[in-house]
Amino acid sequence: MIDNFIAGSNALFGDPFSIGIFIFGVIGGMLFGAIPGISMLTLAAILLPFTASLEPAQGVMLFAVIYCTGTYGGAITAILFNIPGAPENAPTAFDGYPMTRKGQSGKAVGAAVLCSAIGGVSSALIMMAATEPLANWAISNIGPPEIFALVFFGLAVASSVGGRTMWKGWMSVLLGLLIATIGQDPVGGINRYNFGFADLAAGIAFVPAIMGFFAVSEIFVQAEKKAIGMYEAPKMSLDFPTILELWTYKIAVIRSMLVGFFCGILPGIGATLAAFMGYGEAVRWSKNKESFGKGNLEGVISSETANNAATGAAMIPLLALGLPGGAMTALMVGVFQMHDLEPGPMVFYNSPELIWIVFAAMFYANLSILFIGLIETKTILYLLKIPFQFLAPMILLLASIGSYIGRGLVLDVIIMFGAGIMGFLLRRSGYSIPGIVLGIILGKIGEQNFAQGMQMVHYDVLEYLSRPICLLLIIAGFLTILTGIYKALSYSFRS
Amino acid sequence: MSKLKTSHKVETLIWLTIVVVFFGYSFEFSQEIEIYKFGATGWPRVVLGLLLLVTLGNFLHLYKKGSEAQQGRVGITDQEEDISYDGIGSIKKLIAILAMPLIFAWSLKPVGFYSATPVFIVLIIVLLGEKRIKWVIGITLFIYFLLIFLFMVILNAPLPQGNISPFYDFSAFMLTLNTKLHQSLNF
Repeated sequence: MIDNFIAGSNALFGDPFSIGIFIFGVIGGMLFGAIPGISMLTLAAILLPFTASLEPAQGVMLFAVIYCTGTYGGAITAILFNIPGAPENAPTAFDGYPMTRKGQSGKAVGAAVLCSAIGGVSSALIMMAATEPLANWAISNIGPPEIFALVFFGLAVASSVGGRTMWKGWMSVLLGLLIATIGQDPVGGINRYNFGFADLAAGIAFVPAIMGFFAVSEIFVQAEKKAIGMYEAPKMSLDFPTILELWTYKIAVIRSMLVGFFCGILPGIGATLAAFMGYGEAVRWSKNKESFGKGNLEGVISSETANNAATGAAMIPLLALGLPGGAMTALMVGVFQMHDLEPGPMVFYNSPELIWIVFAAMFYANLSILFIGLIETKTILYLLKIPFQFLAPMILLLASIGSYIGRGLVLDVIIMFGAGIMGFLLRRSGYSIPGIVLGIILGKIGEQNFAQGMQMVHYDVLEYLSRPICLLLIIAGFLTILTGIYKALSYSFRS
Repeated sequence: MSKLKTSHKVETLIWLTIVVVFFGYSFEFSQEIEIYKFGATGWPRVVLGLLLLVTLGNFLHLYKKGSEAQQGRVGITDQEEDISYDGIGSIKKLIAILAMPLIFAWSLKPVGFYSATPVFIVLIIVLLGEKRIKWVIGITLFIYFLLIFLFMVILNAPLPQGNISPFYDFSAFMLTLNTKLHQSLNF
């Protein structure tokens, strides 16, 4: 492994053009992740056609680096503006933004930098050491029933955080699942809920929905406050957390690392669910549950460690099985295909140098988060000083461009602003925006894997539940739901 | 005692309407899939059934506790704040702020990004309370040219060009300038 890593490092840093691409990826990912209104996905979608002129290893490496640094960058906007750069940063905003409102933005961002780096580096190391055995384990133990069971558990966890009540948490998740049914059904390709719009046959794209619900709705919330004279500019601070302070959260870091890595290696799941589950587990094990959502540093730490730990792990199903774990890894499949390559087991035999350049680049990209991230963060914190009336049009336009570029459809921009208005109204009534987004993301994956799983077991529920991982996750999901219902009902009937 | 307000009834009614409309529309694609027993409608109808149940649960909560947040919930970033409007003026302003981006999005197809953007920036800045003309013009030009530089010149991203004259001609002019710039720099 070490020899391969050194060879990958030499190939990466021995060629000035590759170094240039690496630096571009690191800075581009951080910037596009950290600028409110656009995300690493916007940059990746724009760059996809240009990768045709690069070597295959350079193209895949560029996207892998953007994935690592962009995931971290998205935490900055989540903490400073309550606008997660990507869905995987949504739980970071739960506690990060309240910390900014309390004047502790530096502490939250500092913790996000360090934990993103720790999560990412550890994930990259495990990925280098264990891609092949883990891929083999995943092949023999993880199938559609397990993936559906994990989606079910993940949605149950998501419903328990974010909404003002358990009912609203579930209504948010179910609304997301309903939106995800728009477009062709994943089994028979039958058009559903297109309401006469031909463009809706392809479904609701993730990026406009995410931008609308997160970025645009937040702009509207702040604009409303501005309109009625209640706007309060977020407070800037540069008081980074001390090492001693972070050391007290070591258990949370290790737990989130494990959660993130487990979610990452499962095909189709990716970093978003990892972040929600990392956050959910932090709440579950905490003695001070009430402080979550009000500015608890552990919330930021858990979410950011978990989502970055999933980045390296998400490369395992992509490289070993050819299965993307999320939107970003799906774009990477596009890079492979542009060079007439198919990600999968044969890549390890046909292009080992490509694999190790990518592994080495991800390792160094995560290290870069620690060094460049701290420097860049101090600059980005000054974004808080820009008056809202100047920042708002910039964010709205960046979000419009980001939504349009993916498919070249004006309809996507309209959907984004529609989602923004919907998000604004739902937030006012205490619904969970991250819950809706997670529902949209996991809806198709859940339905597809449920259908495949049911076909595999010939619609026999007992056979479905005879798979141990599947059974465990389904039980965990039901326990989460039943506990939630019990708490909600007992609260409603308490005088 | 009931803590229901009219807004709670409207909220519940909207959710029930969504359930009914989507359930009704599901008959439009109620076709059998040979390889899948539950067909194309199975999953959405289960989602709608669950949505109906939780809507009723939510109604029960609203009836008993009103808008009160459930104790022990985590991650509620939007605490209920006392949003009060001091007059019809601020409501009109909010509606304008909400509608403006939608109008901008609708205008992208006929007018195009290059012509619609400066107008949109000016209107949003003014609606958000900026009254200093110099700042409005300066920031509009800064944002416009920054976006043009980043997405058109550097990234060559395809942006909506519009389909009616003279907006389409203006977009064509901008793209010609960009091509000439790239040629002169051997980009």
